[in-house]
Amino acid sequence: MSSQLSRIFSPLRAGNGNQLNRTRSLFFDSANSRAGLVLQSQSTDVYQNLALEDWIDAHVDLQQRSILLLWRNRPVVVIGRHQNPWTECNLSAMRRLGIPLARRRSGGGTVYHDLGNLNMTFFASKKGYDRQRNLKVVTEALRRLRPELAVQSTERFDILLNGHYKISGTASRLSRKSSYHHCTLLHSADRSALSSLLRPSCPHIQSNATPSIPSPVTNLTDHAPSLEWEELLDALVQQYNREFGLSCMSTMVDPTNESSFPGVSNMAAELRSWEWTFGKTPKFSIETQLELMDEQLDARCSASLHMEVKSGRVESCRLDITEDWLPLKLSKQLTDILIGERFCPHRVAASAAELLRPESGRLYRRLHNLCEAVVAVMD
Amino acid sequence: MLSRSPCVYRTLGRSLSAASQASNVVTRQHLSSHFQRKCQPRLQSSSHANHVRFFKISAVHRDEVVTVNTPAFAESVTEGDVRWEKAVGDSVTEDEVVCEIETDKTSVQVPAPAAGVLEELLVPDGGKVEGGTPLFKLRKGAAAAKPAPSPSPAVEAAAPEAVTPPPPPQPSTPPTAAPAVSAVKSSSAAAAPPAPSTAGVRGENRVKMNRMRLRIAQRLKEAQNTCAMLTTFNEVDMSNIQEMRKLYKDAFLEKHNIKLGFMSAFIKAAAHALTDQPAVNAVIDDTTKEIIYRGYIDISVAVSTPKGLVVPVIRNVETMNFADIEKAINALGEKARKNELAVEDMDGGTFTISNGGVFGSLFGTPIINPPQSAILGMHGIFDRPVAVSGKVEVRPMMFMALTYDHRLVDGREAVAFLRKIKAVVEDPRMLLLDM
Repeated sequence: MSSQLSRIFSPLRAGNGNQLNRTRSLFFDSANSRAGLVLQSQSTDVYQNLALEDWIDAHVDLQQRSILLLWRNRPVVVIGRHQNPWTECNLSAMRRLGIPLARRRSGGGTVYHDLGNLNMTFFASKKGYDRQRNLKVVTEALRRLRPELAVQSTERFDILLNGHYKISGTASRLSRKSSYHHCTLLHSADRSALSSLLRPSCPHIQSNATPSIPSPVTNLTDHAPSLEWEELLDALVQQYNREFGLSCMSTMVDPTNESSFPGVSNMAAELRSWEWTFGKTPKFSIETQLELMDEQLDARCSASLHMEVKSGRVESCRLDITEDWLPLKLSKQLTDILIGERFCPHRVAASAAELLRPESGRLYRRLHNLCEAVVAVMD
Repeated sequence: MLSRSPCVYRTLGRSLSAASQASNVVTRQHLSSHFQRKCQPRLQSSSHANHVRFFKISAVHRDEVVTVNTPAFAESVTEGDVRWEKAVGDSVTEDEVVCEIETDKTSVQVPAPAAGVLEELLVPDGGKVEGGTPLFKLRKGAAAAKPAPSPSPAVEAAAPEAVTPPPPPQPSTPPTAAPAVSAVKSSSAAAAPPAPSTAGVRGENRVKMNRMRLRIAQRLKEAQNTCAMLTTFNEVDMSNIQEMRKLYKDAFLEKHNIKLGFMSAFIKAAAHALTDQPAVNAVIDDTTKEIIYRGYIDISVAVSTPKGLVVPVIRNVETMNFADIEKAINALGEKARKNELAVEDMDGGTFTISNGGVFGSLFGTPIINPPQSAILGMHGIFDRPVAVSGKVEVRPMMFMALTYDHRLVDGREAVAFLRKIKAVVEDPRMLLLDM
């Protein structure tokens, strides 16, 4: 037991040169077989933490051991693997507040993370995949901590407080041999930010992406104000040990440490990329009416816009607008120039500016107004 | 449920082998390994026997097509949505993820059982499937059979050549030759990719030009065809402006809360010169054959962002001082970074400044951004020995280039314009004195 402890604790003491061997030994030491590990991430960067999850899933032999990873992130909105960010969250509000968007690899719905939200990932072999058992760790820990709180897990793998408020949501991923199940736990998150950001950006989207199911939420600290973060973490670790018959202490890990986790920074870079975050959106279409206006002549016109977006880029775009409002050639130029561009108001604005350059007078005004209307659809 | 009844599987297996089918049906995951071993060799030999009897023996028909089914779901879940990672025609390696099935907050990966090419996707993206539903058809074998994105035509040429020798012995010993040929084929295909590495891969990759690029290209060519474009050069001694910046940058930062750069000096100098030489700020309207002299100065600043070139515009620069210009540049930069640039921010402009110096350019001819008549290109600042009052001194020098439309701007005007910019940047006091 003491040798096991020293193996776990020595990475904290040893210099970087030895860190590779010591941390690797955490995962790959055969003497640790049939054991478990409890890890706590030092990072609050969502991409680094998600990359760490991927790394553990890909590189650690989970047939013989299970791992609990505890982490939290600075404010970020996290969507599920097959979701559409334009329907799930308010991208322009997020841009203004500087809150990034991340797409995780597991399924499920959209969540808002901040430092008051605890994430727990339960890694196990595919045979050991048991979400209710994992949630039992959480509910039992909470019952021991604050027996007056009525917490219960549901069939849909949520955890409800007082039968009504959601304090935890779940998502998971099954790979070839391993699995991970992660869930959130609302300790003291910013609920107003949560509700203002988790609403659609574009109202006119038709898509078959996985929808989120909104639920009323609450924080643990709203009902048990004395519950401290560290207290919660300790209770969860203890219950995890109890439930799985282990005796692990929590070890801090640094997801940016390339020598302990080779390849992790590439994984984080992939998760940060536009191609992953937006480009993996399932195909969707937009169908809406644009209200156009020529202020100088006080004239109005209605046009219909139909767009198909695949992999986050405009695949096809059709604009039905009467010839006497704007020459067909110009509206066709606009739809043409959008094809292949990212579905992003900034890109559309840049394309539109290109088109406007040679125009003047009435055509300019109307084309300008049309471009603004199209940009407004996406934002 | 099917998964809990082994005897059903055995019956299924027997009926499968009995039926003469060209394709194998592989049921995943819940088949016991013992059963798999028992049933597969029979299946394979019978289908290969069919191949020999009814089909021409050639490398292409040698590939098996397997149908992969949806894996059974855990925890009594009944259905999920399919999300395709790969498309028809994509080649996959063994265990590479072909699609993911989303069931009840869980994302389940479905890997390819072997290397091959995806022949058919049997469910649309987002379609619902249950455990056992056929998902996709995979043609086993290496990618050499596929024409389009294969690394080089040389590989395709090599593969058929390699397999022509084996066919002659075929008719005499069909069952044993079958695996042999496929082995030869796969080894030739496997051999082919390594071979190019010794010779040097000579593949091509065609990417369609995106519309924005096409449009810009078209307009640049139009500009080149209509304007009589040529470039005049000059050089600027940056010592004074560098010294001014060194002296005042901290105080500037404190007062205005933004950094003092060099662009503001050049933008202001350009605005001053444009007021002096209105022809450079004007543009020819080819349709009406008129020259449009503009009373305002909107300077477009070409900025290269990771997402492509954007050209935000600073409006009415003639009314601004260095601090105002820096603030405007800063605001536009922030917007660009946050993806908030609107159409108004990028639209129009009477004159463009492009800074190639950030990339280290020494000297170059910028191209006019239509519908304008001129563009100023700034280049890198490099220490050079120059003659100052009869002596050689090392000064930080920058080459500037002005490309202009000679139909509208004369040589004399262009040179005077550039010299004015040089004078102002070398001695900003000229702005105060309106010289």
